[in-house]
Formats: sequence, structure tokens, C-alpha cells
Amino acid sequence: MDAGLNVALWVLRFAFLALLWLALALMARALLRDVRAASRDPAGSLGRLVVVASSGQPAPGAVFALDAVTTLGRDLGSSVVVDDPYASAHHAVLTFRGRAWYVEDLRSTNGTHVNGAPVAGVAALAYGDEIRIGGIRFRLERGRG
Amino acid sequence: MTGRVADAPAPALPGFPRPRARRRELGLLVAVVVALAIGSLSLGLFRTGRPELADPQGLLLFAAGLLVAHVALVVSGRRLDEVLLPAAAFLGGIGLLVMERLPQDLVVQELGPWTLGLGDLQLLWLGVALAVATTIAVVYRSDRWLRLYKYTWAAAGLLLLALTFVFGSEVNGSRLTLEIGPFAGQPSELLKVILVVFFAAYLAENRVLLADARVRVVGPLTVPPLAYLAPIGAMLALALGIVVIQRDLGAALLFYAVFLALLFLATGRLTDMILGLLLFAVGFLVLAALFPHVQERIATWLDPWSDPLGSGYQLIQALHAFARGGLVGVGLGAGLPEIAGRPPIPAIHTDFPLAAIGEEMGMTGVLAVLAAYLVLVERGLRIASSSRDDFRALLAAGLSLVIGVQAAIIAGGNLKLIPLTGITLPLVSYGGSSMLANAIVVGLLLALSDRGAAPLAPPRPPRLARLRRRPGGTP
Repeated sequence: MDAGLNVALWVLRFAFLALLWLALALMARALLRDVRAASRDPAGSLGRLVVVASSGQPAPGAVFALDAVTTLGRDLGSSVVVDDPYASAHHAVLTFRGRAWYVEDLRSTNGTHVNGAPVAGVAALAYGDEIRIGGIRFRLERGRG
Repeated sequence: MTGRVADAPAPALPGFPRPRARRRELGLLVAVVVALAIGSLSLGLFRTGRPELADPQGLLLFAAGLLVAHVALVVSGRRLDEVLLPAAAFLGGIGLLVMERLPQDLVVQELGPWTLGLGDLQLLWLGVALAVATTIAVVYRSDRWLRLYKYTWAAAGLLLLALTFVFGSEVNGSRLTLEIGPFAGQPSELLKVILVVFFAAYLAENRVLLADARVRVVGPLTVPPLAYLAPIGAMLALALGIVVIQRDLGAALLFYAVFLALLFLATGRLTDMILGLLLFAVGFLVLAALFPHVQERIATWLDPWSDPLGSGYQLIQALHAFARGGLVGVGLGAGLPEIAGRPPIPAIHTDFPLAAIGEEMGMTGVLAVLAAYLVLVERGLRIASSSRDDFRALLAAGLSLVIGVQAAIIAGGNLKLIPLTGITLPLVSYGGSSMLANAIVVGLLLALSDRGAAPLAPPRPPRLARLRRRPGGTP
């Protein structure tokens, strides 16, 4: 084999490997950007409450970022003010303990329902569960990243 | 911070969705195809001495397939991940290059008027895989049909495996291949996807119970309530049993590792993980004591040179290949000295493509392939962590781990890091079933990355009664 061909083969070999790593570096840059964007995201990390259906306020589609203790009720001091004729002033409280969310009904007049079943005392929640207070249905969702 | 963060997205307009540009994906795909073209040029120059691509039609068809997939995703208008497809194309492309480089008569199939060799067949399967992944990514919108029929899926998967056991044909002492008419396939590849779907659906439904309603065993050691662990344990035992009887140890290891990872993700208990690893150690010892072929695998792993022409032959040849490759490899086309016209490693296209990559692209190339798997896994876990409900999160995590763990098992086996078990290097190895199963995985991951899709309402009320604590007590 002549020298020119050998040199060309060498150049191509290293160019191939370099280009493979260039493609990987570009992918890594895309990943890094997403990691940075996710860390800047202000949305709560514990979970979110999304209004699925509603007859009053909050309107369907509204999203609430959840604190570890989030109170729901008609009282204006509640974390999530539920403006519904069938809601009590201090209706329910959502707490994140250990590894899961729990909903506690605060002895409301009309009760709190999870996936259609009334809550007696405290119930554990899974992400994706539906919570109904009066005519307002919420869905518990995982927080972002 | 509690408060109103965002309004609902506008309801989807009826009719055709608006295309959404995916510039990042296009850029990455171009980078991948350019790198592959240079690789093909290097192979062509070595073979003929003229500056030409090794298989211009093959590369062109592959690039065209990627472009079609990209355009389909753009037209679908969904907000899907833009790194998954390039990362999969990277692995598939390297696999294609390796298959084109290997002797074409390793696998020959007659298809009508054409006789297809190894490279052509791999290209054909890559095309099918791209079509499957793109179709799933565009069409999959509701979790319903995966989530609600989890037992049906699991039963179908096990039935497929049982059919293989009864009617399957034996290759290399393992009964893995099921032939239906002209098609032959390895159902355990598809079973891995089905099992992940089942685990994800079951664990999502019972996550809270498994994590918090613990049964005390000894001192601080607690386990999830056994009644809820039983269905998943039974499914796992059944799958592992069949797979072990079929001598498909790689698949058994893969299933168990992914099961353990998903259980840990669902409960977040380190003790579950440790208990699972202890059970694994016990199971491993029992298997090693019961089955002679397991003992043989371990002996070969510990000392392949004790039987250099028999059981240790493939592994020794693979180690030699890695050693010849060194840091940057001998160059595409220059490696793999053939013995009597055959490559020294008989299963190089299915079980040992990493050895071929190690020889001709060196450690740099091997690390590039492993890095691409890392990109896929990182992407999958990111999709999981930004999913909105448990099922989607567990499914995305499980699917990406299936690819990652499988790559780790076979790469470790090829490098004599762990005992060799015959499974494929995902997306790189030759093989229709493997390619199809991994295409389904990539397609599902793409679909799951769409945050715009409405999540499914909870399937049924949770078993609240069992979770009720003392009235008036704090949660």
C-alpha cells in the first residue's frame, strides 16, 4: 500500500472517531440544557393540583403548585381557595409525608371524595388520583423534574 | 410557593395538528449521518483503495429513513423528545456499519427474487424499526390500553414464551426461537417490554400501599404487604422460571434487575433493594448448584483458558479482538482476521458486536457506544421524572432501564467482567426480534415524553378502607 493511501486511511479513521464523539457531545449539550432549564423551573417539586372540572372558582385547567401542607376550603386564608357552595370554610388539607401525599377531611359538611369514594379521616393518594370537593374536581399530579 | 401557576393549555383544535419544528433533532441527526458517512468512506477506501463509500445505497436508505421519521414527528405536531431518535440512530447506524463490514454470508435469506446478506437484512430491520418507533410515537396517546389490560398483556407474553418452549426450535442448546411460517422470532425480547408494562401498571396502582403499609419482620426490617407483592412476585417467578428452563440466563438477569429497579423506584425503600439483592444471591447459588450449564458459564468466566478451543473459545477471541483494537482501533475493515473464511467469533453479529467495534474502533469507539446508551437512559429517566402520574413515570423509567441494563449485561459479558449470557446489544446487534422490541421501547419513550397528552382518569377507587388510620389521628 502506498504512503498516500495510508495517510488517507489514518485521517479517515480518526475523523470517524472524532465525528462520533462530536455527535455525542452535541447530544450531551442538549441534555445539559434541559437539566439547567428544569432546575430553573419554579413549579413545585412535590406535586401539583390541576382543576379538572369546576362549576365556579378556580376555573378548569388552573394549576396549583403544592407545599408540603396545603389547605383547601372556602376560607380566604386557605392555600387553595375553593369557591363552591358545597365547600366548607376549612374543608380538607393535603400533606406530603415520607413518600406519599395524604388528604385529610377536616370534618367538612359535604365531605371530600377520592376517585369517587368518600374520605373518612385520612386517605393516602397516588399521583393521578382525583379529589372532589363540592362541584370541583382536582387531579393530583407529579411535580416537574 | 402556592398559587396559580399556569392556565390550562388551549383545547386541542379539531382537524389536523399544526407541525412543530424540531431543529435540535434535525441537527443531531445530521451530525450522526455525517459521522457514519465518514466511517463508511473509511471502510470503502480500505477495501477498494479508492475514495468511495462502502455501501452508498445502504447509507442513503438509512439516512432517508431517518429523514422520513423526522418529518413524520414534525408533522404530528406533538412536543416529543428530540434527543431519543438521534441517540437510537447513532447506535443503529454503528450497528449497520458493523454488519456491512462483517462477512455478508453470516446470515443469508431469500426474499422473493432477492438474496439478502447480513448488511441488507440489518438495513431492512432498521427500516422496520424506524417505522414501528415513529408510528408508536405519533399514534400513542392514551395509556388506557396498556394500563387497564395489564394482566391480559402479561398472560399473552407468558403464553408466547410457553409456546416457544413447546414448539420452539433449538439453537446452541437454548430453545429461544419460535417459527411461525416464514417468520422466526425470539419472544423473550418482546416479553421484556410486556413485563415492564405490567410491572409499571401494577406498581403504579399499588405504590402507596407497597411503600407505606409495611409489615414488620424483624426489628426495623419491614417488607411491603405480601398480599400486594404476590401477583407481581408470581408473574416474575413464572417468567424467570420459563426463561431459566429455556436456558436464557441473560433475559432472566435482565428481568430481575429491571423488576428490582422498578420496585425501588415505586417504594423508595433501600431495604427492599438490599433484600432483593440478597434474594438474587441466594437464587444465583441455587441455580449454580442445580444446573450444570450455569456452572459451565461461571467456570468459563473465571478461566476461559482452561478450555481454549471449547467453551472458552468465543470469549478468548473476543478478548484478543479488544486487545488488538487498543485505544483507537485498527480501522474499519482492517480487523477481524478470519480463520478459514469465517470470523473467529461465530456469534459476532448477535452477541459480540462490541468485540468487532472494540477491534476496529478501539476503546474510543466502545466508549462512544456506551455513552450513547447513557444518553438514552438519561433521556428516559428525565422523561420519567417529569411525567405527571406514577404509571407514566414507572413505564418510562422501566423502558429506559431495560435498554441500559441489557447493554450493561452483554457489554460486561463480552469484556469478561461478568459471566457471559447470550443477549443482544440493543439496537446494534443483528436480529429482527431484538430490533423490533427495542424499536417499541424507543417509540413508547418518545410518546411518553409528550407532556401535552391528557392523563387517564384513575382506573378505580383505591382501597381506602385498608389504609384508614385511627380517626382523628394525624396522617
